[in-house]
Amino acid sequence: MNQKKKYILLSLMLVLALMVTACGGSEPAPAPAEPSEPGAEAPVVDAPQTDETLIVAQGADPVSLDPHATNDQPSSRVMAQIYERLIVQNEEMELEPGLAESWEVIDERTYEFKLKQGVLFHNGEEFKASDVEFTLLRALESSHIGHIVGQIDPETIDVIDDYTIRISTKEPFGPILAHLAHTASSILNEKAVTDGGEDYGQNPVGTGPFKYDSWTTGDRVELVRYDEYHGTPAKVSRVIMRNVPENANRSIEVETGGAHIAYDIDPNDVSRVEGNPDLKMIRSPNFSTTYVGFNAAKAPFDDVRVRQAINYAVNMDAIVNAVYMGTGAPSKGPLGPNVWASNQNLEPYGYDLEKAKELMAEAGYADGFSTTIWTNENQQRINIAEILQNQLREIGINADAQVLEWGAYLDGTAAGEHQMFILGWVTVTGDPDYGLYALFHSSQHGEAGNRTFYTNPRVDELLDIGKVSTDPAEREAAYLEAQELIRNDAPWIFTWTGEDLTATANNVVGFRNHPAGHHKLFNVSFE
Amino acid sequence: MYKYILRRLLLLIPVILGVTFIIFTMMYFTPGDPARIILGEQASETDVQRLRAEMGLDDPFFIQFGRYIKDVAVNQDLGRSYRSNRSVTGELVARFPTTLKLAGLGVLVAVAMGIPIGIISATKQYSFFDNFSMVLALVGVSMPNFWQGMMLILAFSVYLGWFPSSGFSTWKHMVLPALTIGTSTAAVITRMTRSSMLEVVRQDYIRTARAKGQVESKVINRHALKNALIPILTVVGLQFGYLLGGAVLTETIFSIPGLGNLMVQSIRTRDFPMVQGGVLFIAVTFSFVNLIVDILYAYVDPRIRSQYK
Repeated sequence: MNQKKKYILLSLMLVLALMVTACGGSEPAPAPAEPSEPGAEAPVVDAPQTDETLIVAQGADPVSLDPHATNDQPSSRVMAQIYERLIVQNEEMELEPGLAESWEVIDERTYEFKLKQGVLFHNGEEFKASDVEFTLLRALESSHIGHIVGQIDPETIDVIDDYTIRISTKEPFGPILAHLAHTASSILNEKAVTDGGEDYGQNPVGTGPFKYDSWTTGDRVELVRYDEYHGTPAKVSRVIMRNVPENANRSIEVETGGAHIAYDIDPNDVSRVEGNPDLKMIRSPNFSTTYVGFNAAKAPFDDVRVRQAINYAVNMDAIVNAVYMGTGAPSKGPLGPNVWASNQNLEPYGYDLEKAKELMAEAGYADGFSTTIWTNENQQRINIAEILQNQLREIGINADAQVLEWGAYLDGTAAGEHQMFILGWVTVTGDPDYGLYALFHSSQHGEAGNRTFYTNPRVDELLDIGKVSTDPAEREAAYLEAQELIRNDAPWIFTWTGEDLTATANNVVGFRNHPAGHHKLFNVSFE
Repeated sequence: MYKYILRRLLLLIPVILGVTFIIFTMMYFTPGDPARIILGEQASETDVQRLRAEMGLDDPFFIQFGRYIKDVAVNQDLGRSYRSNRSVTGELVARFPTTLKLAGLGVLVAVAMGIPIGIISATKQYSFFDNFSMVLALVGVSMPNFWQGMMLILAFSVYLGWFPSSGFSTWKHMVLPALTIGTSTAAVITRMTRSSMLEVVRQDYIRTARAKGQVESKVINRHALKNALIPILTVVGLQFGYLLGGAVLTETIFSIPGLGNLMVQSIRTRDFPMVQGGVLFIAVTFSFVNLIVDILYAYVDPRIRSQYK
């Protein structure tokens, strides 16, 4: 009997434990407005109750809030509210003073920055030139952001006084200011980093308008307004960045009042959001591009006529409409429209079957050939491959679409084992050097980025000029010409440039998409 | 009894070692370089090499495995995530309560629905109720969770606006996911309860109980149900243990930050330490749930209890 009682006690405790964990412990979410009344025709966004708290839904949880430990978009989107850089790119991609009041070119490798005075980090420390030096030296140690800061020469960072610093690059490097404006170049405080130790990524300290409050991993990051902020203070007192991975759910959250802003709306949902009178759809081109590359080192793609013929044989409007539901736009050339010095006067290839067949015949492939199109497990890219398969049949090309695991895909295309392949690129700095050099310079064949193995000495020369020159006019001319040559040489089927699709509740004002994707939230308020 | 529990706990050691070895080997031979996946297609080869070296990925298999076993066994340290540099233990501990809540609520819903329906079906075999509930159970088993989740979201979030569609912070957030998991698990439990009860009610001692004039409710609840409970307990325990490993689809659809979501994301990004730590954690939890079920057998069935003595 005694034993029996013990068992009963044990079972009771188990059930109790289950009930306690199930029902208790969680604080009420400040978030969602009360749902609309049962049976109401359309869900009503009832935001005034949460006037001071802005809830934003994005598709993934940040990886880390240490700018040197990651370089993913969900993290950058949070870090852009907490940290500041020396220079800022506004939504038009113009450079504006950030933590640096002004800057001047000393020589082709060196810039001098005058820093803002009286700026306090969130931990109360004063911002000084030594923080910039510390940040850059630490950034150079990171393997995550080498492609953003790697050009800076650690030997010649020169702190002249507390509010003046000189930064040099290893080689003359034209786009350095755009790189310093990237979120990876956010300025950190040495004391905060040392205090944070290995967990600094979960205890970030910046100078920005919002400071870090809490992080429920996998669920949400909460930020609060920083009252000692040196610039215009943020409009809302609290920001909650929620992780809502399902695309459809993000639209539903903003429709039902669970979020005020939702990023990356699924192209399928765009018309529904646009048709909802309680919501606003904010659309603008971003820096991403998708392309179908040829392995230009291999026959038959070593013949420019074949590459051009395929460009003519593809009906890109049909692809954009079918795959991307009409969001974004067909690419005219290698760069998206809002990258600086993007050549928007390029003539798109257009759909011209006769011309395509003519070029194929000239190249000696009147009867076509067989080839493969590689893609990774990305549904949109798989769809593109399947449509291409159909369209290329018109000029006798029998293409086999193959889906590869991501790691194997990158290894295979780096080693040149492929024929045609589908990939994307994001010109994260908004500068053409980032969007062209790695992809088209012959020194970058393979893993470095030029997976088409494209080579054109004149393009190399122009890309070199763009990289080293500090004269904007000279750079612009070089890039415009390089884009024209690349368009004519057609190492890609120029496919698609992306669009940022953000849904907001109607009463949200002051929100704008930033082409780099990390939209500012400190100007946002409620009507 | 205590000896038995101790022996079972000691048996966990080879289980853990085996699981660790298998998962470590599998992750090691999975194609795709974690460093490349973490840094993305835009990073340079030099940076990828540097990160590989930092993560110790250049070392031979047995050195890496030995280092891992040493960390786990000697330092009780599951390591840090490749991706976020968070402590694996910390991350698992942070996520587990969510999964426990979800699994607990799901099983609660399932038991509350499944056992009564199963009993009634068995006692009124081939009645309308029986047929109806068996069809319903078949639908419940066959209906994919993700579809059911989406339908619930459509009905209760989008149209009626009663419950939020994603997140897991208030009781309102828990209703739809618990229903999604609960109904499909309930279907399994209903079917098991019914067949187990049907077997028991045909036994002689049930006839004897009835013959001596015992009230029918007592016959069913005291005599039949208790004897039918062993297979039902097994199913409930297995389902609970399975759900503790994370209900991946339900967690994804409702954006619930549980273990299932963490595992999927970690596998996708080749976050080896997180996957290894997570699988280990799930294996241990599962073993514990099994142990608890075995102890409950002893409580329910004196014959089993006597074996432990």
